[in-house]
Amino acid sequence: MAVLSRREKISRWRYRNRHAVEGWLILTPILLYFSFFFFFPVVSNLLLSFTKWSGLSGAPTWVGLANYRRYLTDSTYLQVITNTIVFAILILVIQTALALLIALLLNTKVRGRGLFRSAWYIPTLTSAAIMAQVTAVFIAPSGGVINSVLTSLHLPPVIFYVQVDWMRAIIVVYSVWRGVGGPMLLYLAALQGIHQELYEAAQVDGATSRQLLRYITLPLLVPMTIFVLITGVIGTAQIFEAVLFLSKGGPANQTNVLMLQIFQDAFSNQSLGMASAGSIVLGLILLTFSIVNIRIMSRGSVGN
Amino acid sequence: MQKKSENRVKPERVLLYTVIILTSIVMAFPLLFGLAGSISTIEDYVRTPWFPIPYTPTAQNYEIILSGGSDVLLWVRNTLIRAAWYITIPGAIGILGGYALSRLRFRGRDNVFLFLLSSMMMPGIVYMVPTFVMMARMPLAGGNDIFGQGGSGVINQWPALLITGLVNVYYIFMFRQTFATIPIDFEEAARVDGAGTLRCLWSVYLPMLKPVLTVLVIFQFVAIWNDYTWPLFVSTGNPKIWTLSLGFQYLALGGAQRKGLPGSITDYTFVFALATFAILPLIVLYMVMQRFFVEGVQGFAIKG
Repeated sequence: MAVLSRREKISRWRYRNRHAVEGWLILTPILLYFSFFFFFPVVSNLLLSFTKWSGLSGAPTWVGLANYRRYLTDSTYLQVITNTIVFAILILVIQTALALLIALLLNTKVRGRGLFRSAWYIPTLTSAAIMAQVTAVFIAPSGGVINSVLTSLHLPPVIFYVQVDWMRAIIVVYSVWRGVGGPMLLYLAALQGIHQELYEAAQVDGATSRQLLRYITLPLLVPMTIFVLITGVIGTAQIFEAVLFLSKGGPANQTNVLMLQIFQDAFSNQSLGMASAGSIVLGLILLTFSIVNIRIMSRGSVGN
Repeated sequence: MQKKSENRVKPERVLLYTVIILTSIVMAFPLLFGLAGSISTIEDYVRTPWFPIPYTPTAQNYEIILSGGSDVLLWVRNTLIRAAWYITIPGAIGILGGYALSRLRFRGRDNVFLFLLSSMMMPGIVYMVPTFVMMARMPLAGGNDIFGQGGSGVINQWPALLITGLVNVYYIFMFRQTFATIPIDFEEAARVDGAGTLRCLWSVYLPMLKPVLTVLVIFQFVAIWNDYTWPLFVSTGNPKIWTLSLGFQYLALGGAQRKGLPGSITDYTFVFALATFAILPLIVLYMVMQRFFVEGVQGFAIKG
């Protein structure tokens, strides 16, 4: 007996002593890689945003806040910032509201729910780049699906590419189509997590189905809504492929967004300083959105 | 009496089903349109602009895609190589990191964890531009000298597509949480039998981590299959290493010529076939693994 327990003690002692060695053996390479491919680029990005550099040759020259000043004064860049914010909010609000609505509908014990859920979720799986090009077929000026239908109805065709409002609407609709599936699944999960007894108790007290929705379902969905909005805005503010393939930022730069502008600055305009400043601006916008979301939503839940 | 009222169709149920069915059709419409268009001849496609009806179904588009003459299979291979790589390495690092951060006890562990976690708020674009510069300035690669000057580094070469994003903090986090739910007794029992740490991870933990691993495989596969932005940044100049999303836009333009039609005609049926070809594997994956998709999305909400 005694021998066995001592053997066990020894093995445990060796086991404990191995912790630090093995821990650092695993974490050191991870931290090294992480410093090289995350920490270093993030810091360089910040430094580069204060410089002017083509990225091709030579060294960056320090220009202070000039890049940021340009971002906040140049009408082209201001337009890009505004567009990004407007797109991010529009897409986020529409896709979240729609996701909630569909989740509520699908949660009412409909038959064939799996099939409907698939129809709503599968667009999320598609490649943003490829489906944007398919959408471009729908809106092509000649031979496009929408214009062919219009022509067969003896209506004048619409040249979508030159009309700002149409292009904005198309980008929003396309992004919502691709983005609604994830939040819908999340809302469905949250709805299924609500205890049935809550509804039963309220029904005993004579609550109508509208009151059940207003005073039980919606308040209980607040935490999920915060999560959906915060994770959602990270996606919608980084809108890129939809704009690249549907409008290329046009007409006249009026649908251009930060991601596309960063891409153009880095690779077409050979202006890495502006591209870096742009990504810092985008990062700040994302941070602001997240903070505002948390503030508003937590205040809302306290109010209830 | 009671039976009668049960059998009566309530008007709000009819409305509910109508709304769900109609909206689901709208969601599925672009994909169904693409599928039908892809097996239509150009004549059939033009005949009914609102929805292509393949009177004489043809697999010609798919034959072109799968024929040896096209590069699609090469791009599929490239995409699969990337997917396999980005499942294996971040998965292994996630398991090792998660193990070290949950099962091993040593000083500094929690600081490392917080350091890694702090990166999760940072959007990818904040380090994308400098990472691109790092790829282009890689010393002694692609004609560069030891200081990384003079050549193009690993841009347009395989390493640029494989070297970034190997440490995925989200997966480390996910595995850390999962390890915490597994009783330590299993590991201790194995250690008494003389198993080392790697042996424990492989034989004891890996089978228990299967559900989480499945979620990782699915989401990582979908993400890499659709990845567009980074391959666009670093591999545009070398069609031999293009991934499917990147090659798609090039092929979409040349479809008409491949059928011996005048080059001025844009053959939309070919675009649709390419899109369907690119999306079908993901839809099949979703249909087979539906349970894990739902679990995965919900896991993001609960743990993330």
